[in-house]
Amino acid sequence: MILHTMIQILALLWHQIVAVFAEFRRDWAEALRFYEEAYRALREMIATSTRLPPVQRLVEIRAVAEQLFFKISTLLLHGGKVEEAIAWFNRHFNSYKHLVGLDEVSFLHWDWLSRQFLVFAELLETSSAAIPNTLSSHFGTPESSLTEWEIQPAYYYQLAANYLREKRYCLDNLLSTGDSEFSRTSGKVPESVMPSVFIGQSARLVEQGDMIEVLPLSDAEYVQYALSEAQRFQDSYEIIALFRKACESFTNLKAPRLASLCSNRMAKEYFFTEDFTDAKKLFDTVSSLYRQEGWVTLLWESLGYLQECSIRLDSAKDFIEYSLEMASLPIFANGDQEIPDSKREYGPAGLPSQSRREALQSEVLSLVRGEEIVSRTDRGCSIAVTKEQPVRIDVDIISPLRMVLLVSVAFHDQSVKPGSPVMITLSLVSQLPCSIEVDELEIEFNQPKCNFIIINAVEEISAARSNGDNQDVRIETAPSIVLPTNKWLRLTYDVKSDQSGKLECLSVTARIGKSFKICCQAESPASMEDLPFWKFEGMVQTFPTKDPVLSFSGQKVIQVEEPDPEVDLILNASSPALVGESFVVPLTVIPRGHEVYSGELKINLVDARGGGLLMSPRETDPFSSGNHHVELISISRMGGDDESRIHSDKIKKIQQSFGVVSVPDLRVGDKWSCKLEIKWHKPKSVMLYASLGYSPNSAEAARVNVHRSLQIEGKIPISITHTFMMPFRREPLLLSKVKSLPGADQNVYLPLNETSILIVTARNSSEVPLRVKSMMIQSNSNKNETPYSIQHVGGVSADDSLLVPGGEFKGVFSVRPKIDSPNLELGSVCLNWNRDLTLSDSEDSGVMTEQKLPAVIVEQSPLVVSLEFPPHAILGIPFLFYIKVSNQTNLLQEIKYSLGDTQSFVFCGPHDNAGFILPKMEYVMSYKLVPLCSGSQQLPQATITSLRYSAALNPSVTATTIFVYPSEPNFFVADNEKETILAKLNL
Amino acid sequence: MIASVAVVGHQNNPLYLQSFTNANDALKLHHIVHCSLDVIDERVNNPKRSVSTLNESYLGLLYPTESYKVYGYLSNTKAKFLVVTTDLDVKDADIRSFFRRFHAAYVDAVSNPFHVPEKKIVSRTFAQRVSGIVKAFAAGTNG
Repeated sequence: MILHTMIQILALLWHQIVAVFAEFRRDWAEALRFYEEAYRALREMIATSTRLPPVQRLVEIRAVAEQLFFKISTLLLHGGKVEEAIAWFNRHFNSYKHLVGLDEVSFLHWDWLSRQFLVFAELLETSSAAIPNTLSSHFGTPESSLTEWEIQPAYYYQLAANYLREKRYCLDNLLSTGDSEFSRTSGKVPESVMPSVFIGQSARLVEQGDMIEVLPLSDAEYVQYALSEAQRFQDSYEIIALFRKACESFTNLKAPRLASLCSNRMAKEYFFTEDFTDAKKLFDTVSSLYRQEGWVTLLWESLGYLQECSIRLDSAKDFIEYSLEMASLPIFANGDQEIPDSKREYGPAGLPSQSRREALQSEVLSLVRGEEIVSRTDRGCSIAVTKEQPVRIDVDIISPLRMVLLVSVAFHDQSVKPGSPVMITLSLVSQLPCSIEVDELEIEFNQPKCNFIIINAVEEISAARSNGDNQDVRIETAPSIVLPTNKWLRLTYDVKSDQSGKLECLSVTARIGKSFKICCQAESPASMEDLPFWKFEGMVQTFPTKDPVLSFSGQKVIQVEEPDPEVDLILNASSPALVGESFVVPLTVIPRGHEVYSGELKINLVDARGGGLLMSPRETDPFSSGNHHVELISISRMGGDDESRIHSDKIKKIQQSFGVVSVPDLRVGDKWSCKLEIKWHKPKSVMLYASLGYSPNSAEAARVNVHRSLQIEGKIPISITHTFMMPFRREPLLLSKVKSLPGADQNVYLPLNETSILIVTARNSSEVPLRVKSMMIQSNSNKNETPYSIQHVGGVSADDSLLVPGGEFKGVFSVRPKIDSPNLELGSVCLNWNRDLTLSDSEDSGVMTEQKLPAVIVEQSPLVVSLEFPPHAILGIPFLFYIKVSNQTNLLQEIKYSLGDTQSFVFCGPHDNAGFILPKMEYVMSYKLVPLCSGSQQLPQATITSLRYSAALNPSVTATTIFVYPSEPNFFVADNEKETILAKLNL
Repeated sequence: MIASVAVVGHQNNPLYLQSFTNANDALKLHHIVHCSLDVIDERVNNPKRSVSTLNESYLGLLYPTESYKVYGYLSNTKAKFLVVTTDLDVKDADIRSFFRRFHAAYVDAVSNPFHVPEKKIVSRTFAQRVSGIVKAFAAGTNG
């Protein structure tokens, strides 16, 4: 037997030595093979006995196995054989997991197992680059025995922490009982123990004189030594660190449930080390996931710990919250039989069961009624609820405590008149396992005057009043306020509101005992969410109200209507508004049945076609102030005298489209008027909204509102057009105009230093008669010397001339450009006008309508052709017809001209001819014509062609028409008028 | 031996969870089933899944713990079926056939007109049927 063992040891040694040499040679395959052989040889030695005592022998075998496995897995992982390494690890684990040894030293086994996982995790982490990416596609298929997490170090860290916990548990058990065989036999820890030269062995050093001798240890001594060593280490910190590492990795791998499992274990470890603050924080995080996914048992465990943490942290509020949540969880199991170790498994809460829930509820109720609760884990710790430190729990619509108390509030109507009562039904339900009796319910509204209290009839009203400082609150009594499990308690009362607007039930606060309140946010039955956890239970659905319609459509909000107004608000607009003018809208307030106190008038202008705002942010218009198309300018008292003008301090606010004005106090029979001045910058249809808010009596009471609206059209009053003309019978040659394609552009060409005529026509396009006060052309340039001269030379008189709808007003101006410019700004036409019948008595200064004239192209004309003949002719009497061509250039110009035949005239002179014009000279072609017919006659067609510019001129028909009298007419014209006429003709 | 079976709804809430062990390890099994949902999420949302596994309900081995193995199955309605076994060497075909029968039992249970979808399955018939399937599986693997 001994021989056999010796052979096995030698074989093991030989394999190991060969493997080490192979490693030196960098022959990895050979090294791996021999390490594997050595590992197998070690396995065979487990059952054999050696000179070492059994405990130390097992320690030695484990140490050797660890070392061999470390070598094997390192070689495999560095060779990229991840799957094989993991398979080897599993084999290693399965081989040794049951090799626990004696109970007294089982902690050594768990410690060793934990180390195996830790070492493998670290190895895997360092060689993570060697893990191929393609591995993940095979998970879950028969080709791969691996799963997702097995290639993650986090998985092994987590297991390492688990086994370290196991070690700590065993060690604690051992130390707490303290009756092990070894501790009885020898209670003394041996001194000077150190690792032996052999792997996994320990020895004791004994000094004998100058000699130091190494002596073997007995198993009892070794156990004492190991125990004392194990006690020195704070395992909890390492457990927490390992779980934290695993938790972070799992969070990064998007595995929230595994991460929360690690957090859970970490929290338990904190709890064990009595770090209750950190434990509570972690348990809270974990619980939220379990709540979200509805895992009752898992939540129960965490809440049990949280409950205990709250006691240890002396927080009665938290304790009550966690206890109530636990008591209201849907757990129906009968857990009367207490299973051993359930505390270790389930934590302080124990096994989840119906009876535990009931116990928890009664515990909380006794706490809130003044009893003390003692911690389950430390009897010295306790909490209590006292009058000095009352507890109030708030339950909102996302709180898990909705299961404890759910309040649904429904008004029976959708709107109510002020002062009229309306029915309200409060429905309360609780999922606590036993009925719960409430002492008082306090119902809170957004209008505090409507608040009321419902008192359990058993409770004394005086007692209820004495503890409340709000003496004015209405108090109702109910025979009993008891909430049975999952059964609606319905209470219906009247509510009366004097204040118009929204009346909303905000919350219902239940008072249990003297110092505990639970405040629930009121919910509308129509929009009530399902209860967490209970929504997955197959319970019979019940409605909060008896009336099913109310259950589906009931709301916790009601609209309190306004009292009917008894004040007239009159808005008037006699005609459409005109763009540019200050349009006045009279507004009158006449109290009929109500008096008006602290009245406030709001004026709002809104685009009648929708769109709300009367502005266009993109448009930039010089005529508008800001970007508003319609603007509220002022609000003033009717009459216009300064005293009655509303003081500026009374006008609270006037914006472009909105104004607020205070209205003085008015009694019945009084009358108050004002006028709103509104200015249109663009033709737009506008809704004018006026709303008067007032109090019918002087005391601050409900306000009443009167609303009126009026649609007002804004129209363009005057459309302005213009035309440019040349002087009569004078035609300058404009080269650009000749070259430009007909119709290609609409530019206006004017000759330099020649007088042109501008006719401006203003047309009344509105439906009201207007008066034109003046028309002029205003230059844009500020300089004194304008690059052109412009003069008003005629047209209809502009002194208050009446312009009926559709009527036209013409102004005639002479324009003489002085500079050659391709883009000459001529300024704007300014037309001052007002309505024929103004609404106000005051003298109106008129409205200025301005329209910009387009830019003109001014150029020097090389040739100017003018036709000269008398204004009229007499039948048979010859007259002279001159065609004068003036050369304004410094060049010699060659022209051709012709005069066609006509039936009405005979003439002498050349039909066709050509000639040269010297620079700055004039060429005159003269013909003598004799008219043959009377009446308006067309002169012979003249054509003048400039050869240099290839331009021909055919004078227009109007320019070559002459009136032929049959005989000499007799005119009687005064001399001065004659001169005037002649002057105008010879422009 | 099967330690536990579970049906989990599409909000990852437990619809049915039954343990078949006598030991006090219900909480541990709950934790195992809950953590296995992470693997289902990972496997279903993995873009690298091979075509052959893409349309298959059977998800294979999800999560090996030291003493248990968890297998998963996903129905078309996103109901997740999970089995926790203590046998560390189970034939793939046996598990597949188990899931098929488990799924059929579930379909029959939710076809009950009184059953509200996404609520826990409280049918006793379903529980008995699942127990029967579990026993048959144990007999099949032992045999």
